[in-house]
Amino acid sequence: MLETRSRTAQIVLQVLTTLLVVPFLFPLIAMVQGSLAGTGWANYRAVFSITSLPIFFRNSVIIAAIVIAIVLVCSLMAAFGFAKLHIRGKEVYFWVLLAALTLPEVVLLTPLFATATSLGFYNTYLAVALPLAALQIPFTVLLARNFIAGIPDELIEAARIDGADTFRAFRDVVLPLTRPIAGAIIVLTLIAAWNDYLLPLVFLQDPSLQTVTLVPQFFIGQFDNDQTKVLAAAVVSAVPEIVAYLCLQRLFERGLSAGALK
Amino acid sequence: MNREASTVTDATSSGRGGSVDGGVSSNPASRPGSGRRTSLARFTPSGLPWVLPALVVSGGLIYYCIGYTGWISTLDWNGVSLDRRSVGLANYDRLFQDPVFWKSLWHTALFFVTTTVGQIVLGLLFAVLLHSRVRMVAIYKVIVFVPVVLAPATMAPVFRQIYAPEGTFNGLLHVLGLDAAAQPWLAQPGTALAVVISIQIWASTGVAFILYFAAISQIDPEVIEAARMDGAGNMRVITSMIWPSVRGTTLALITLSAIASLKTFDVPYLVTNGGPNYATEFLGTFIYRISVPQSAVGYGAAISIMLLALATAMAVAFNIRSRDRGKTDA
Repeated sequence: MLETRSRTAQIVLQVLTTLLVVPFLFPLIAMVQGSLAGTGWANYRAVFSITSLPIFFRNSVIIAAIVIAIVLVCSLMAAFGFAKLHIRGKEVYFWVLLAALTLPEVVLLTPLFATATSLGFYNTYLAVALPLAALQIPFTVLLARNFIAGIPDELIEAARIDGADTFRAFRDVVLPLTRPIAGAIIVLTLIAAWNDYLLPLVFLQDPSLQTVTLVPQFFIGQFDNDQTKVLAAAVVSAVPEIVAYLCLQRLFERGLSAGALK
Repeated sequence: MNREASTVTDATSSGRGGSVDGGVSSNPASRPGSGRRTSLARFTPSGLPWVLPALVVSGGLIYYCIGYTGWISTLDWNGVSLDRRSVGLANYDRLFQDPVFWKSLWHTALFFVTTTVGQIVLGLLFAVLLHSRVRMVAIYKVIVFVPVVLAPATMAPVFRQIYAPEGTFNGLLHVLGLDAAAQPWLAQPGTALAVVISIQIWASTGVAFILYFAAISQIDPEVIEAARMDGAGNMRVITSMIWPSVRGTTLALITLSAIASLKTFDVPYLVTNGGPNYATEFLGTFIYRISVPQSAVGYGAAISIMLLALATAMAVAFNIRSRDRGKTDA
């Protein structure tokens, strides 16, 4: 876009871009450098010697999987209903969902806490996964509804003439076409669930149920506030996310920026 | 990437006009809310069972909690004991006289304005630069986007280390010969808030960049070439050609940033713990402090209701905005 006629201009542009990118890289470098300070690689040995470390990852995977399953099923079904089927008072239901779009999770803490303890949900995966799914669904329904609305009615009509009922039309015609939006929903939900901190903090007391985002606190306690080992633990927690992003770059960029496309 | 991103943009924007009022849409076949007109209306007795799971899981849980919060906000209660006293609107009265509440509102507003401007300026700048003749575009892109993926909770100890008195940042200033600028960043009210804001810009610029990058790919290069022929310089091209044509993206980013500002919790809680002296207190951290460590859930619920009112007002404002846009688009 910018004009670079001369060689000098091109070099200036390259240098400018590099200088602007440095602050973005800086925290990552500081993290790795800090994790190798003091006793060097022994910090990592100390982190990996904590046998419960994989448990945190397992818990994050389980919670993310539950949330993704609930969100995907609910939002694709609802989006199909809202976009293609006749529902009396449809807009009212849609608004009921949309109003929850901007809801901050901290508002839910006290009622959820009181309810979860009285129903015996406290300190279970569901106490975190259900509210996470509930908060995610309004947005994913909106996203999927706009997408499914773009599928021509004629395709579904043709399936009906061939004798398909609503369910089969959904499964055989609509579902295969929703793959791009399903991918975006999965990535968006995965990151929201994996990175969530507040709900696990409040609802998961048992260390054997806690998630990756609670690892820093655990390690601050474990290593008596030895900063280098805490940073080594941060590197270990960050690496899977960075690797997942590098492997699925397009899907991540599309999914996470879909957050801005209403 | 451009192609991929633009397909989502197309797909989502095609229903945008009709998504709210069921009225204006560029594609007549995709007009939602007017099912009566199409033959699909007779396809099934009712689509209600299809939307029910979402309504129950999301609507049910959320509205139940909101109602519950509204009720709690009229109580003097610690959240567990059986002894709870109804105090009417006393919690709200207390709220309006609480300087920390006004402080956290002010911080939220300041945070919203600065992080929005920061990510828009940086995101657009990166998008323009990486559309120019620059090498290693793929690497720059990854570096700017990685912070979006990382959990704030994972990065919090890193930022505490960077901005500590003996931390990486002061060390860097020392190397650059700027010892005079070194200071305890997290221990002073002004700099602590600046640090929280900078972390949010660091974490969210990637999204702005990706969206602007995709939006700029849609601009016809010939139009820009023509402007150059007429003698337009680089600055002129950015301000009068690129900026107006990415307006939709900018508005979407402002919406997203407003929602993020209201939800802010992880960074101020973990990096500065709302301090020093409430200098980085936000509505989220304030509600948490009151409700969980201080166990004043009645008062916490009253603050929650205020936060909800703000969030709803914002949602309404943005929906009116997108309704207007839907009409002008068509």
